[in-house]
Amino acid sequence: MIRKPTRPVLILQYTILILGVLFAVYPLWFAFLASGRTGDRLYTLNLLGMFIPTEWTFENYRAMIFDRPLLTWLRNSLYVAGVTTVASLVITTSAAFAFSRFKFYGREFALILLLAIQTFPGVLSLVAVAQLLTALGLYGKHEGLILAYTTGTLVFSTWNMKGYFDTIPIELEEAAMIDGCGPIQSFILIALPLARPALAVTALLGFLAGWGDFIFASVLVPAPDSMKLVVPGLFSLANSQSVPWGNFAAGGLLIILPTIIVFLMLQRFLVSGLTVGGVKG
Amino acid sequence: MLFTGPTIIGILLFNIYPILLSVYTSFTNRNRFRPNPDCEIFLTGLLDPLCWPQFRTSAPVGLGQPYRLQDPIYANYANLIGNLFTPEALGAMAAIALCFVPLIAASFVNRRLNQMLEPPISPRLVWLGALVLGFILATVVNVAQAYDTLMRTGDFVVVVFRTLLFVIARVPFSFLLGLTFALILNSDNLPGRTLFRVLLFVPWAASSLAILMALIWQFFFREQGTINQVLALFGFPGFAWLRDPVSAFLIVVLVDTWFSYPFFMIVILGALQSVPRDVYEAAELDGASWWQQLTRITLPLIRPAVLPATVLTSITAFQMFGTVWAITQGGPISEVGRPGATEFVIVYAYKQIFQTQNYGNATAFAVILFIFLFTATLYSLRLTRITKGAYES
Repeated sequence: MIRKPTRPVLILQYTILILGVLFAVYPLWFAFLASGRTGDRLYTLNLLGMFIPTEWTFENYRAMIFDRPLLTWLRNSLYVAGVTTVASLVITTSAAFAFSRFKFYGREFALILLLAIQTFPGVLSLVAVAQLLTALGLYGKHEGLILAYTTGTLVFSTWNMKGYFDTIPIELEEAAMIDGCGPIQSFILIALPLARPALAVTALLGFLAGWGDFIFASVLVPAPDSMKLVVPGLFSLANSQSVPWGNFAAGGLLIILPTIIVFLMLQRFLVSGLTVGGVKG
Repeated sequence: MLFTGPTIIGILLFNIYPILLSVYTSFTNRNRFRPNPDCEIFLTGLLDPLCWPQFRTSAPVGLGQPYRLQDPIYANYANLIGNLFTPEALGAMAAIALCFVPLIAASFVNRRLNQMLEPPISPRLVWLGALVLGFILATVVNVAQAYDTLMRTGDFVVVVFRTLLFVIARVPFSFLLGLTFALILNSDNLPGRTLFRVLLFVPWAASSLAILMALIWQFFFREQGTINQVLALFGFPGFAWLRDPVSAFLIVVLVDTWFSYPFFMIVILGALQSVPRDVYEAAELDGASWWQQLTRITLPLIRPAVLPATVLTSITAFQMFGTVWAITQGGPISEVGRPGATEFVIVYAYKQIFQTQNYGNATAFAVILFIFLFTATLYSLRLTRITKGAYES
């Protein structure tokens, strides 16, 4: 492992890596090629055309953006995911701070309880959540979905943030308290700025909860088309026989690529934020 | 209290309440024909939102009969797993367990052998012997028949067994892929390392939109899909990949491996960076081969980081929904009324709730799953703590 690799070893390593990259990236590349083919020509019989673009048209992109409600779906998704992010950040950071700093009665029990709850499969609470939202008059509305997502991220985000707050030395806040800060001030002025990496991770996870979800979005906001979020919307497109597959490929790429780019940019942040905060005791 | 208030209310309403309602529903006969509550029953009136004052007026009336508690109260549970406790089923389970006895014994023997300086027989031979013995036992007790008996006890066993099979198939695959890439990417003299790492990481980045990516994957395997087109190009007949139980199962495993190996890769890469270099130098001096270095140094040293990650991904794999739903929707179904070949636990529960509307059964299933997942999570937490301790000391 530390000796200088010989030529055959190097060749073997690159072969494995290149095969791996092909495996990793080809599905996206395939979707990219399909998105550039004209309407109903789903396939190309041209073997070369499966690897490099032999023909190209923006027709599918045009159709997705102007003829189909993609932009409406996108707006809905951004709205739902954005509000979910903000709400879950505000709610969970304060709760996590309390769990981390104040030794109140039942703290340990509350933390274990949080964990217990998290393991209940989300799909199975859907019926109850749907009934609850109907009772609140929020079924079929974006606000109901936001409520469901925010409460869905609560447990994990609280654990994550609490783990991070635990690593911030309490002495800093004690010093601030001596200088005359109340608990709320020491939270906002001292702890929050220090917890920025964990905040970013919590925000990203909150955003993804609303952005990538399918089940809740399709059950809680089933219709009409103009209310749908982008993932259920595209899913229904892909499953309807009358829609050219190229349209789906174009629309899917328009959603997937930005997500991947953001993910790759935040990758280091994300991995370290998750492992630093993490689900620890 | 001010800080935790909203969190506690949110958790009570949207996390604990659904669990309570599910547990309660699992004791009732609520289904498609009995969808409505009978608010006169105290617990129903308390728990079902349709009975709450502000909602009572809009509650649908006269659609079928109201649901009530089962008689006996555990009927749904008995329906799901009751058949597991008949003499035949217990016998079948015992028969299958018997085949694994030699393997367990072998691991015990090997642990003892490893403590000896000069083991009388090589551990590999012990494993081989155990495997052979296991196979002999399997033919003697007729495992195939025992398996059939178990599978006929009801949906529960079938679904849980398939899901476990999926986890067992998928986790080692993604672990091996992740390990291979991580080992290569960790070597020093490799131009283009960062580029490869980023590209290999792409599937995980795409996994937040798993359902859309899975649809793209599905397109490869459709009857009119890419693979059959390529086969046709070379004059081979196409194959209905998603209609065959085995190939559909394997395709789901493949696609989910695609989503999950980058996670292992990143975890292992991180762990590898904390392995001190001089250990390898010492091993080199002692003449250890590459394979010995891998199995005796690298793997044991990255174990504390990798083990919790493995348990966690196993738990998530157990609850996998989106990928299967997009690719097979739980199919293919070989017998009417039985779960399909890729109908894993959550898919099964989803279908029971939203397609057959068999609420009572589905919630009983959910409660059993919940108990199982809860235990598994607690275990993984304990593991994390133990391994964390091992890191620090």
